[in-house]
Amino acid sequence: MYDIVDALLNRTFGLGWPGWSVALIGHLFVASLLFVVAPFQMLFFTYYERRAIARMQDRVGPNRVGPEGIWQPLADGVKLFTKEDIVPDVADKWVHLIAPCVVVAPTMFMFAVLPWGPGMVPVNLSVGLLFFFAIASVTTVGLMMAGWASNNKFALLGAMRAVAQMVSYEIPAVLSLLAIVMLTGTLSVVELIAYQGGLFIASADMPGLPDLGLGWIVFTPVGLLAFLVFFVAALAEGERTPFDIPEADSEIVAGYMTEYSGMKFGLFYLAQYLLNFLLCAMAAVVFFGGWQGPGVGWLYAQAISPANPDGSGVFNVLAGVLGVFYMLAKTYGLFFVMIWVRGSFPRLRVDQLMDFGWKFLIPLTLVNVLSAALWVALTRWGPEQGITFTAGWSPLLRWGAAFVATGAVNIGAYLALGRVYATAQAGRGRVDVDELELVTTTR
Amino acid sequence: MPTVIQIVFGLISALIIGAAMMVVLARNVIHAALWLIACFFGVGALYLLLEAEFLAVVQVLIYVGAISILILFAIMLTRELEGARQLARGWRLWLGGAICALLFAGVLVPTLAGHPWNVPPPLGPAGTPEVVIGAADLGRGFVFQYLLQFQVAGVLLTVALIGAIVIAYEERGRRRRVLTLAEEHELRKRQEPATAEPPAGD
Repeated sequence: MYDIVDALLNRTFGLGWPGWSVALIGHLFVASLLFVVAPFQMLFFTYYERRAIARMQDRVGPNRVGPEGIWQPLADGVKLFTKEDIVPDVADKWVHLIAPCVVVAPTMFMFAVLPWGPGMVPVNLSVGLLFFFAIASVTTVGLMMAGWASNNKFALLGAMRAVAQMVSYEIPAVLSLLAIVMLTGTLSVVELIAYQGGLFIASADMPGLPDLGLGWIVFTPVGLLAFLVFFVAALAEGERTPFDIPEADSEIVAGYMTEYSGMKFGLFYLAQYLLNFLLCAMAAVVFFGGWQGPGVGWLYAQAISPANPDGSGVFNVLAGVLGVFYMLAKTYGLFFVMIWVRGSFPRLRVDQLMDFGWKFLIPLTLVNVLSAALWVALTRWGPEQGITFTAGWSPLLRWGAAFVATGAVNIGAYLALGRVYATAQAGRGRVDVDELELVTTTR
Repeated sequence: MPTVIQIVFGLISALIIGAAMMVVLARNVIHAALWLIACFFGVGALYLLLEAEFLAVVQVLIYVGAISILILFAIMLTRELEGARQLARGWRLWLGGAICALLFAGVLVPTLAGHPWNVPPPLGPAGTPEVVIGAADLGRGFVFQYLLQFQVAGVLLTVALIGAIVIAYEERGRRRRVLTLAEEHELRKRQEPATAEPPAGD
């Protein structure tokens, strides 16, 4: 973006503006573009979810406004905009006002590191992955503010539940990504995608493989387990059913947004769907190769890029369109799985939610980190790191050995932990006679 | 270029100082905590201005995302303190203020006086600006050069974790929990021995 603005202003018009203003204009342009794209993703997601869940529940869903009800989200938006904004008398006015902004702003920030296609990333931060999750954790402050400022029991309960849930499920999400960071050796989202070229085996692990953009991390045992854990944690972070206890409408009205109406409520809604979009997109980027797919790598090699300055601009457009298509297809696919889960599972109880996060997912991700270390040792390390027995092996043999070893470790850990967890949960459901004796004697 | 940096630095510093002032001036404890979060955020922005991306991100992750939540939780769980304010007045206020100012100056003045100001930015081999230290270099520093400090910090955190478990742990016999529906039913059956059937085990 910097190059384009620089060429336009300083070479075409000859204005000779300094570098910082060019950078500012470039980033402002990208930011305003994202501010336009993001709400449309949200509008589409609400329609998509309502239609898909209706199909699963044998209903029709919104189908009156426009062809197949496609303008329904716009009508809902107009409704929200024109509704009266009610602030409770006893609410803390300023905190009540700022809370929706504190929830929406971080989700917009998170778009800054999300790559849409080859060479299409707003900011290529070297710690992009960490930035994404650091900013995501800021939303919890906003939820807390909303719940407290409303001065309502249900809002405060919802906020407490939301914060407890988010803080617990951040740990498995970040630990599962730690395994991926160990595999790829980078925290940059762009390099993470570049790693996932190849054909079912990442070309970084095996040079000479045809690059069809299918070397996705999810095809390795470490990546598969990390993806499953990450996806469950993403469901919890996005407050999707079965983890929607912070806004369980049958228990605590609407949780932290009980006292919000009109566009402030709309902002919470926006933040929630944007967060879901971003979590699906990040899962697609980290585990499913982002924009990688058959053809994109070849098209981008012909295009104008830092590696190939005298390419053709047509290929830039083609690679961009195909890359964005793959990226959005993966994101929408993952969101469909989220809807599917919502249509299939009932809501968890609070103690089940906490137990599942702390006693099952976190140990599983810790084992997965160990597997990732095993994978790196078997595929990359040689005599200079102290691993001598793999020195004579071919890359395919090393990859196969790593696949089998990590697969065995992960499946074993899953089965063992699953047994322990199932026994513990069965113990919870049973009527505890000792406890009853105690209660009956002390009462 | 430096002018822009200085303007941005001025804005961020104003945010940090203003927010820090509001932390002590705010009458409401929750408001003070929220201003503290704004202050943490400003410090993160300052790190970003120094091109320490990793530190900035970690500042946001740890301070804004975790510690501030802890503070808010702690305040909300101790509701009694919210209304009660014991404000010092008269000579006590002045004495307290003077002691605080003296202690603060005791830390700040030697630093301000002894610090070599206007240090030129470090240069790399061929006069180029030195490569910014990234997350990988920090990690290498932790596991090679500063391993002992790193491990001691790790042990300290583990001790804190175990301490938290010991404090929160209740013995099974003393635990009071809400009965589940099945247990309520069982209890009611036991309390009416005339109509109760023998319990069918568990």
